[in-house]
Amino acid sequence: MRSAAAAIAWEFRLKHRWGLIALTGYLILIATIRLLTQERGQSVDFDDAQSFALVVVVPITSTFMYFLAVFSFGLSGDLAARQSMYPARMFTLPVSTAALAGWPMLYGTAAMAILWLATRLFALWPSGVEVPVIWPALLAASLLAWTQALVWMPYALPGLRVIVTVLWLATIDAVVMLALYYKAREPVMLAILAPHVPLAYFTARFAIGRARRGDVPDWRGVFARLGRIADVLPRRRDRFPSPARAQEWFEWRRHGRSLPAMVGILLPFELTLLFVFRETPALVLETLVLVLLTPPFMAAFAAATVRKSNPEGSDSYGLTPFLATRPLTSASLVAAKLKVTIWSTLAAWLLVLVSLSLGLRLSGAWPVVMERARELVDAVGRPRAVAIVLLVLSALVASTWKQLVQSLFVGLSGRKWAVNLSVFGTLSLLAVAVPLAQWIAGSKYRMGVLWNALPWIAAVLVCLKVSAAAWIAIRLRDSRLLSDRTLVLGAACWDASVFAVYGLFVWLTPALLFRSYLLALVAILAVPLARLSATPLVLAWNRHR
Amino acid sequence: MSEPVIRATELTRRFGAMTALNSVSLSLARGAVYGLVGANGAGKTTLIKHILGLLRADSGSVRVFGLDPVADPVAVLSRIGYLSEENDLPGWMRVDELIRYSRAFYPAWDDRYAEELRRAFALDPTAKIKSLSKGQKARAGLLIALAYRPELLVLDEPSSGLDPIVRRDILGAVLRTIADEGRTVLFSSHLLEEVEQVADHVTMIHQGRIVLSAPLLAIRESHRVGERVPSLDEIFVALAGISAASAPET
Repeated sequence: MRSAAAAIAWEFRLKHRWGLIALTGYLILIATIRLLTQERGQSVDFDDAQSFALVVVVPITSTFMYFLAVFSFGLSGDLAARQSMYPARMFTLPVSTAALAGWPMLYGTAAMAILWLATRLFALWPSGVEVPVIWPALLAASLLAWTQALVWMPYALPGLRVIVTVLWLATIDAVVMLALYYKAREPVMLAILAPHVPLAYFTARFAIGRARRGDVPDWRGVFARLGRIADVLPRRRDRFPSPARAQEWFEWRRHGRSLPAMVGILLPFELTLLFVFRETPALVLETLVLVLLTPPFMAAFAAATVRKSNPEGSDSYGLTPFLATRPLTSASLVAAKLKVTIWSTLAAWLLVLVSLSLGLRLSGAWPVVMERARELVDAVGRPRAVAIVLLVLSALVASTWKQLVQSLFVGLSGRKWAVNLSVFGTLSLLAVAVPLAQWIAGSKYRMGVLWNALPWIAAVLVCLKVSAAAWIAIRLRDSRLLSDRTLVLGAACWDASVFAVYGLFVWLTPALLFRSYLLALVAILAVPLARLSATPLVLAWNRHR
Repeated sequence: MSEPVIRATELTRRFGAMTALNSVSLSLARGAVYGLVGANGAGKTTLIKHILGLLRADSGSVRVFGLDPVADPVAVLSRIGYLSEENDLPGWMRVDELIRYSRAFYPAWDDRYAEELRRAFALDPTAKIKSLSKGQKARAGLLIALAYRPELLVLDEPSSGLDPIVRRDILGAVLRTIADEGRTVLFSSHLLEEVEQVADHVTMIHQGRIVLSAPLLAIRESHRVGERVPSLDEIFVALAGISAASAPET
């Protein structure tokens, strides 16, 4: 390796080779499909937006985000810190600041442009859609270059990086959307976008120059007085009644506030829609659905922090010696995490219900909701209407909690390969399941076959779930991670939950539509068991390597 | 004779192709200071992680207070005070929160002693751990390792990269601990002059094998050249050299 350019390229290639191999595989796959269909004179038309989104938009957007993270060194730094995210170890290399800024930017923008051109060339676009050639590539390159420049900049306050970057990228996006709205031609789009990469390069050079000199502005003193107010408040000094409670406090401080905070940030924006659309009942109800889906949706993101044992460390999934040497069993460490996820879920939902009630009252949209409630009571009767509302709410709360805990067993294993494998497996499953579902939905015959096979499919899934749970229970018992009493109590609670869910299903669904054994199988599949009970086992695997 | 505090028997651990510990056997009796010395990468931290139950043995066994630290972590860890070179205390906690959190785990936690140590180490209770200097972090770690007067104090390269004042505090902590009868200290370091100051017994580890384990006085006597008693540094270099020369070429 004889040049800085080659060394920087080598580092990107070596660190991210698996991602790049996966991307190459995707491009080869779509190119092969494209060539085969063209050779046979066939045309593949997307008859709906979903299938186009699945085959083209989702992979390209994921790769776009991945490139943003890779080429800005965003995967190995602290986004909220004041210091530059450019790796400090590279500041001492005998390389000019221009080269430090220029080479990663050149590689990144080139990768973005190639990604777009390859997707345009190989992907199967819906017929009748004219796909522009250059400006989207330039837009992707500009967004990456600005992300790099703004992420590498040192900031005066923690968290300012995120705000500045999001606002600036949103502004560029807004300008492009406006141009598209006014049907700007390609030369105009190019004129709008062309200056961005050079401007971003000079900004990045300035940012790295500052960071290299250790020139990090500091405005924290301005806010120090506010911080002193917190010191005036009485501090808790009483003892924790037990080690388990101390660990719950630790987990709450570490992860418990993430979900309520995320939901709390989104709620004001969502509730504003109630004031805007209060005259349109359909939109009020859509807003209501949006608000109610916010906690389970955000829980999927909060779960990413909950499952990390050491979010600040370079090995974020590994257990730190400090935590691993707490005189607690692995089961107690998991129990603290699970309890905190329950509190976190309840706090988020309390926030949603209180804010929603206030929002509906203050916006004047309350009568719209009451009218729909009356219609439901008229249709199914008061007890069933109350049960349906409670069931939907309980299902949403349970789904929020499930989102938080269902991937714990992967994260707590402490193995990055397990996390990557899980993400890859989920995406692969989605990539297969969604087109399969659409293929089935396209034919009444296939729908009929599926309907008849549904009990068998459910039975196979139940067998797999129960077998996995039995194997896990034996391992838990053999390794003495859980006592016999706890295992029996856990099994009894799970049984009770399944019976309760089954009872509700039987009560609410028409007997002619679903057979009772199918409802029982669905109830068994709905209540978490195997993955949840595996968490103490995988934590012990992480803790005692 | 009473049960040894630590007993490792034919302990072997490999990481891929590398053998980090190779048939290590060791027995530490109660009430003494044991220095574990060796070059970087010799296997000191790997041995300590086995004692804490953070690693499982590929073969052989480790017993601490007669218990398996992997099978029974609560019984073992509640009797051990541990300070690591990494010093990975949670940066988001304040010093008083760290004390409040830590004392929940140890019924024998001595509030007065903890406060005495906090004052002696000049730790501001409202300061966040992440804002402390490396030396202050080491002191905070030492405070929570000592405040419940553990039966076994394990210090893994505690003075690495620290200034002489903090190193003095750490040696003082070792001396305080052994002042309480029946307590044991395992002190790992590659700064041999420090070990020489406090250790009763020295174990040298080199390339995953124990090359020497004996009382410090006996080691000195056995390496005496005429009237001159060599330092531990000199003895270690000599032994490591012999060991490296006799190791099979790879």
